[in-house]
Amino acid sequence: MDYKWISDLLDKYWEGETTLEEEAMLRDFFSVPHTNLPEALLEAAPLFQYFKGEAEKEWDVPPITLPVTTPVVKLSPLRHWMKYAAVALVAVGIGYALKQQQVRKQDAAIALRQQEMNDPQKALDETKKALQLLARNLNKGTTKMQKLAYFNEATSLVEGKDD
Amino acid sequence: MSLERFLTQVVPVRQKLYRFAFRLLGNEEDAQDITQDALMKVWGMQEKMAELQNMEAWCMRITRNLALDKIKSRKYRLSDDLDRAGEVPAIHQQSPHAAAEQNDVMGKVHVAINALPEKYRTILQLRDIDGLSYQEIADVLDIDMNDVKVNLHRARKSVREKLQNLQVYGL
Repeated sequence: MDYKWISDLLDKYWEGETTLEEEAMLRDFFSVPHTNLPEALLEAAPLFQYFKGEAEKEWDVPPITLPVTTPVVKLSPLRHWMKYAAVALVAVGIGYALKQQQVRKQDAAIALRQQEMNDPQKALDETKKALQLLARNLNKGTTKMQKLAYFNEATSLVEGKDD
Repeated sequence: MSLERFLTQVVPVRQKLYRFAFRLLGNEEDAQDITQDALMKVWGMQEKMAELQNMEAWCMRITRNLALDKIKSRKYRLSDDLDRAGEVPAIHQQSPHAAAEQNDVMGKVHVAINALPEKYRTILQLRDIDGLSYQEIADVLDIDMNDVKVNLHRARKSVREKLQNLQVYGL
């Protein structure tokens, strides 16, 4: 059998000058057994048999998970109005409770003070303190008025009104 | 990109992507992960699809980049070639003895090809197994077509030398 044509093709292959069709011819040639192959062809046979085997190999490709596109649903801000209402109610409740507590404390302080005033001695002391405070402040005002009087007097003297 | 376009143009190439990833990574589990990641990445880059001339090559390039990143990041170790030599199907099973011998020969060819540098190996596989043209290989690897030819020539020469050294002859 004449193997010259396939030897020439093989040489072209090793040189990287074969076309895809010629490479397919080489794979087909080597896929069946031949007798009395020259050594050059014999050494290339396993390579082409391997290529053919790999090309025809069935691959068990697992199914892919496709990207799931879910439509975007725009949520209305009022959608959860009950949640917001509940939060507002709790906040108002806490605020009211705190305020009530403060009022109760103030009431208790006033009641305590009133209770203290029932004692005549304490009431007298407190009245004295209040009057002293008033007197102090009144004196302050008197001092100022005196200064003002001096000023008026001096002004009159300068103007020569006073004889 | 609509889901319909994705299903008609991208999903059909998943077998090619899986096979490509498997050859690069050497095991099914990682090949599955990378194929899935590549498809998700393609889905995520929808706006780029309109500019593409060769979608298949683009998908394969994404797969290769992801697989190479995985190899780099995990200091990946390809599974033992000898273990997988048995997975190579026999082509002519004349007798159990001949089949075993054939498997042994195929295993040696497999080892010789896998011993090539990644670039040589990928170019050789894309050309001689997948039957891609020089231009398609250039698109997948994002290199010049002349580089493809030069590297393919070197890859074939290297495999030939390895097989001669291993004294692998056809039956």
